[in-house]
Amino acid sequence: MKKMIVLFLVLAVMVTVPVIESAFAAGDEPGQYLDRRVIIWNLFFKMMTIAFVVGAVVSGTIIWQCWRFRESNPKAKPTPYEGTDW
Amino acid sequence: MVLELQKPRPIWQIMFSTHHTDVGLLYLITSLAFLFMGGALALAIRAELFLPGSQIISDSMTFNRIFTVHGTTLIFLFIIPFASSVGNYFVPIMVRYKDMAYPKLNAIAFWMIPPAGALIWLGFADFTWYATPPYSIISAPGPAADMWIFGLKILGISSVLGAINFIVTILKCKHPDMSIGQVPLLAWSFLSSSLIILVAIPTFAAALLMLLTDRLGVSGFFNPALGGDPIAYAHLFWFTFHPEVYVLVIPAIGMMYEIIPRFSRKPIHSYQSGIFAFVLLSIVGFSSWAHHMYATGMSFTEKTVFMVGTLAAVPASALHVFNFVATMWNGRIKFATPMMWAVGGIALFFSAGAGGVANAAMPLDFQTHDSYWVVGHFHLFVMGTIAFGSIGFLYYMFPYVTGRMYNEKMGKLHFVMSFIGTVMVFFTQHVLGLYGMPRRIFDYPPIPEWIAMNQIASVGAMIIGVSMVIFLANMIYSSGKGKLANTEDPFGVGGKYYYPFEVKNPSH
Repeated sequence: MKKMIVLFLVLAVMVTVPVIESAFAAGDEPGQYLDRRVIIWNLFFKMMTIAFVVGAVVSGTIIWQCWRFRESNPKAKPTPYEGTDW
Repeated sequence: MVLELQKPRPIWQIMFSTHHTDVGLLYLITSLAFLFMGGALALAIRAELFLPGSQIISDSMTFNRIFTVHGTTLIFLFIIPFASSVGNYFVPIMVRYKDMAYPKLNAIAFWMIPPAGALIWLGFADFTWYATPPYSIISAPGPAADMWIFGLKILGISSVLGAINFIVTILKCKHPDMSIGQVPLLAWSFLSSSLIILVAIPTFAAALLMLLTDRLGVSGFFNPALGGDPIAYAHLFWFTFHPEVYVLVIPAIGMMYEIIPRFSRKPIHSYQSGIFAFVLLSIVGFSSWAHHMYATGMSFTEKTVFMVGTLAAVPASALHVFNFVATMWNGRIKFATPMMWAVGGIALFFSAGAGGVANAAMPLDFQTHDSYWVVGHFHLFVMGTIAFGSIGFLYYMFPYVTGRMYNEKMGKLHFVMSFIGTVMVFFTQHVLGLYGMPRRIFDYPPIPEWIAMNQIASVGAMIIGVSMVIFLANMIYSSGKGKLANTEDPFGVGGKYYYPFEVKNPSH
């Protein structure tokens, strides 16, 4: 549980800090967002770069797991819980 | 309820029963009926948008009616009743109680749904599932709009009654030997979502009454001509319906928490972090409603606060994904149909979340607002995560409900086609939004990129449509003629099921 809380806090900081910074991309005057399209789209491409990298890692992990831990994999072995009433 | 089809009872005995498995069955059948009805409307929308110009729908008013009823049906008459079905079947067993806390109230909550569905479908309103004011109060056509309002009012009461029942059943009726920290995560998901409903729904109930009195001309809450403010309605609506997104998604994640450990043949990696993430999502769900309204002239500070509030959901969602991945690690995974749907749901949950982060970043929201990006993002959540989790769980509970096994090959084909179709439709819609196509339009200019992407989306929708026909055939055929299930361990993965085959139904 402690590890999960630490993971949560790390994720929270990683998400929140860049986002607060990114809020300023829109400017603080009404209508400024129209004049700042280049900055905003630059922000979009930065965010998409992060999203695709993180997405590739997460999706790649899930795909690898599905291949490695499938029951038909020759390396698959019974979990310690099989045969018990877990 | 198990082996119901082998020992049939008169239908009236099920219809007027208050037993939780009977009410669960009624919820299940009703929600699936509405799934197919709402899905048919989605196919009509996609067929219409296959090319510019009018294709199969004659005018924009009819198009508006179709997507209004499509959204209303699939959210309120499929997703929520389906979750109620699962909760009815499993929550009492998970907390080791004989039934729901208030069985009659439970049956009443269900029986509010058919008349509400009838009001929505017979009226066929045209003002979107958001009931957009001031159009909805000034010029939306007569009985249809009022029928929609009354239908939603009834569904709101039904949801609140159901939520009270789940909360009391879990907190007050659980076995004395069982602490709240031992209640399975699926039941925890129902506790969290029920608490959200109790806090969120009354606000929309008030908004609906105000909308109705505005329509009757006796008030002007949202009517600018009478000094009212449509933005006030937006606040009331989204205060309910952003948290409602979590009401929809949390039970679906709870269902994945039941499927993934079962088919990985090991317990969930971290039970406590699952509870923590559910509770956190329930709280932060209320800190983000105004991110739907960045374009309404809010101050920079307000927008920033709601942006951060929205992004607070990201770490909690990431905890769920991490929990699933860690559970599968070192498991011996059986990829039966429910597991395939659950894993597909996790992958799409991540993608939908990534799109949501871009949406929530306030400067970007101005670029994507009211575009097809929003349609793609929202649908990736409701179809890719919620419907995937729900359909996977339907396969999981199928042997329990019918005493028979579904056809595994057809189940897997259903998954593969739905996954491909979902990616084709909703990923493409994100890009379509970036190319500037507005949402909720009946016709569009013949821009080559728009045409190509609309065609990809429409073909994807047709693939999903065909997969749903396969699903329906599988359900109908297998429930009558499928192989008899081993109700002790229908999937051959061992462990202790919460399969309530030992439940004593007084009607049997």
